[in-house]
Amino acid sequence: MRGGYLRFEVRRALRDSRFLVFAVALPVGLFVLLSRLYQSQGATPAYLMSGLAAFGAVKAALDTGARTAVERGAGWQRQLRLTPLSGAGYLAAKGAVAMLVALPPVAGVALMAALTAGVRLPADAWAQAVLGTWLGTVPFALLGLLVGQLCSARNVQTYQGGVLLLLGFVGGLLIPVASFPPVLAGAARALPSYWLAEIGHGAVSGSGGPGPAPVVLAAYTVALGVAVVVRYRRDGARA
Amino acid sequence: MLAGMERSTPHAVALSGLRKSYGERTAVAGIDLLIAPGEVVALLGPNGAGKSTTVDMMLGLTPPDSGGITLFGADPRRALADGVVGAMLQDVTLLEDATVREILTMIASMHRAPMPVAGALRLAGIGELAERRAARLSGGQTQRVRLAMALVPDPGLLVLDEPTAVMDVTARRAFWHAMGAFAASGRTVLFTTHYLEEAEAHAGRVVLMRDGTIVADGPVGAVMARVGGRTVTALVPGVRPPELLALPGVVGAEPAGDGHRVVLRCSDSDGALRALLARHPGARDVEIRSASLEEAFVLLTGANLAGEEVAAR
Repeated sequence: MRGGYLRFEVRRALRDSRFLVFAVALPVGLFVLLSRLYQSQGATPAYLMSGLAAFGAVKAALDTGARTAVERGAGWQRQLRLTPLSGAGYLAAKGAVAMLVALPPVAGVALMAALTAGVRLPADAWAQAVLGTWLGTVPFALLGLLVGQLCSARNVQTYQGGVLLLLGFVGGLLIPVASFPPVLAGAARALPSYWLAEIGHGAVSGSGGPGPAPVVLAAYTVALGVAVVVRYRRDGARA
Repeated sequence: MLAGMERSTPHAVALSGLRKSYGERTAVAGIDLLIAPGEVVALLGPNGAGKSTTVDMMLGLTPPDSGGITLFGADPRRALADGVVGAMLQDVTLLEDATVREILTMIASMHRAPMPVAGALRLAGIGELAERRAARLSGGQTQRVRLAMALVPDPGLLVLDEPTAVMDVTARRAFWHAMGAFAASGRTVLFTTHYLEEAEAHAGRVVLMRDGTIVADGPVGAVMARVGGRTVTALVPGVRPPELLALPGVVGAEPAGDGHRVVLRCSDSDGALRALLARHPGARDVEIRSASLEEAFVLLTGANLAGEEVAAR
């Protein structure tokens, strides 16, 4: 029953080629730019790759979820409430689409790093850097949905942009945390985006496992998942 | 509560003691309404009468403060999930990046026994728009796509909230043509409208709401009869309207719009006319009319139905 709705949403997402191209082009472009910029300061391309793959995934997932604000404003969610589609089915389909569009940026940055910056890793480290980072994007897909449920179609871009900047800069996805002053470095560790990048950092540093990152991201997933469901239920009562 | 009766002959719609307030404001103040399968019912009322709140509660979009709602004996959520109810809401825009066929296919895919998408398109009269993106539809076309969306579950009950509010005359005619085809198959239809002639032409029964309550409910003719059946309009030189109230069969007298004649609202227009001509031989330019639904409406709700729409017509 849910399949038809998921298929509908996937087709809509894939049709928006401008969005998909930009979602890949932005982190890949930033990688090319920043890997030159930070070369002198000791940040390796592999290290930057982790941060920018995470940034691309976070941005794609967040944007997709946040766009539900527009559909909500247009009454589309009310229309869907007249179908057998459950709230869980709706949110799961939206989350799945956000995850789908989060994969190309991660793969794109990894490919660029391997082809142009000479990043070489063992197969299991590649898997952790690409698939691990992608799977770690789940809480950001949920965060996007939460922003989409809380904001109006008019102000959603402002909030979504603010959240992305916070997660990107303070989370150390765009500037290595090593160059942060201590207070800011502490703040970075409170953000889920920092831990998303840590999955890749762990893979490329050769230190092996991703450390506590999966646990932190799982905790964020649960908290944001609850928040999204509670908010969606409340929204149903809107007159 | 109603269980015994409901099971043998479930009403298409059964509302009992339905109430809803928003803070201090009472939107629906305890209404009871039974609609039998196959009825076509118009829900009328001025803005703020509680029509849309009633519809929202019927569709499970707004929880009532108290009271019961069953649609074919089931609660609204259940009825919607089973595809027993199709609905067209006010103020829903379509997703601009999807085609009409994609939207309908998606909705059909969620139902157990949907109408074929081609059938819904044909019934709504928009077969040629199937591959069109929603962004390229006119207002009237959009409404008919939304009708097709409501039809696709192949529902026994169709609920339409102000379906023709944004349509021009041609689009309205096409819309009601599509609706008539659906109702002719014995389905139940409940619609709200600002256009009284739509209620008169398409509904077998009208329900008038005011201030959250039902003030009249019955066949169109019966509701009109409640305000005195017919009116007699005449030019009666030298007599002021209040003096004519003494005539037998007259229940109301007021100056006509032209400023010269007087309009007599009658419970017995024949008797009133005989007495008028006998007592005032100078009376002339006599005209007898049935009361219109609009007059019934103004009298029963004390309001001009959404003023601007009626006045503009």
